[in-house]
Amino acid sequence: MSTATVAAPSTGAAIGIDRLFLGLAIGATAILVALVLLDSQPLSAALILGGFGLGVAFLKAEFSYTASWRRFITRGEAGGLLGGLIVIAICALVVVPIAALKVDFGGAIAPLGPSLVVGAFVFGIGMQLGNGCGSGTLYTVGGGSGRMLFTLAFFIVGSVLGSLSLPRFLALGGIDPVLASDYLGPWGGLAATLASIALAAVLIIAVAKKRGANWRPSRNYIAGGIAIGLLCVAVFFAGGHPWSVTFGYTVWGAKIANALGYDFSNAAFWQWPGPKHALAESVLSDTSSLTDFGMVFGAMAAAAATKPFAATAWPPVKSLLAAVIGGLLMGWGARLGFGCNIGAFVGGVASGSLHGWVWFAACLPGCLIGIRLRPLFGLSRD
Amino acid sequence: MRKTYLVVALFGLIAIVGNHLTSPSSGRAVSPEDFAGACAPCGAPCPSKK
Repeated sequence: MSTATVAAPSTGAAIGIDRLFLGLAIGATAILVALVLLDSQPLSAALILGGFGLGVAFLKAEFSYTASWRRFITRGEAGGLLGGLIVIAICALVVVPIAALKVDFGGAIAPLGPSLVVGAFVFGIGMQLGNGCGSGTLYTVGGGSGRMLFTLAFFIVGSVLGSLSLPRFLALGGIDPVLASDYLGPWGGLAATLASIALAAVLIIAVAKKRGANWRPSRNYIAGGIAIGLLCVAVFFAGGHPWSVTFGYTVWGAKIANALGYDFSNAAFWQWPGPKHALAESVLSDTSSLTDFGMVFGAMAAAAATKPFAATAWPPVKSLLAAVIGGLLMGWGARLGFGCNIGAFVGGVASGSLHGWVWFAACLPGCLIGIRLRPLFGLSRD
Repeated sequence: MRKTYLVVALFGLIAIVGNHLTSPSSGRAVSPEDFAGACAPCGAPCPSKK
């Protein structure tokens, strides 16, 4: 394995292209695209390439939901959260009306009940310990963080455990999804959704101002938010639903467990038509897996194009332990909470579904606890 | 860490390709939400349907 680097004499910093990993990322993406095109599935290829673009955009903008939420909770800084709302607003402009008007498209909906609240709360704890949410884990793994390999591995384990727990939590009760467009029509639903996003932005800015903190998003977050929002729209058109991340993890984990001899035929979750189909079919037949793979390789390409890939040392054991616990909690919480920051919060709010805001409200206190636990593992509260 | 990454990336790619070649793939990629009765991105049923 060779790393092509060009030293910058004036600064001493190593800059250059890591040809091995750049080639691996582009080659792997080309192979996956070729496989789905051989099956005459151009929309699947679009999902892989959309994911690739998301990986590049997240890495280049250093767009982090986890850090943004932490900065808001600990210091009152609102810029990151507002950047996230830019993504949601751009998605909502397309998702709410199209999902209501076109039969081939649908929004991200979910029932309201104990499962959603408990799942989002636990996810919030895990997100701060794991140091990345669903999308954050993908792009940092792709970007060369060895620590996040642990987070991803245990995210997958946790999500399979969550799939076994979800039916019992759903049995506790709940109400059907509440979708703005069902009550107000496509355009009224869009207006209500945009108003809810604007109200959230006003409240977040008010909190930041009251705490004397900076509320303006950085240029990175504005540009990144716009780019990610547009890519979310592209993924919506290619997949028929808003971008989601964590169902792919559950499928990968279940396929691995299946290969190792675990029988899911008695698990209620895996008898529902969607999960049963995903477990039986090729992993390239699952929309969330397609964008996930693209995102990892996109981030890998972006990282390897600018510096030696994965050239840092492994983090301390305590930090890895936090990654393991955080991954497990996020995986379990994502299944109970019907997704992560992307599938539940971004996708839910951008669809005009009330569960997106419920998820946000339940995840924030979980984040607060996660932040308080971080020093136990040698992680900063900031 | 680079060696670990190389092994993980290659193993992952081989696993994806191997799974695709040994599993059926009937038509376009789908989400669990595409199936009748699904009430969530994971395909969970609606509370009112129980």
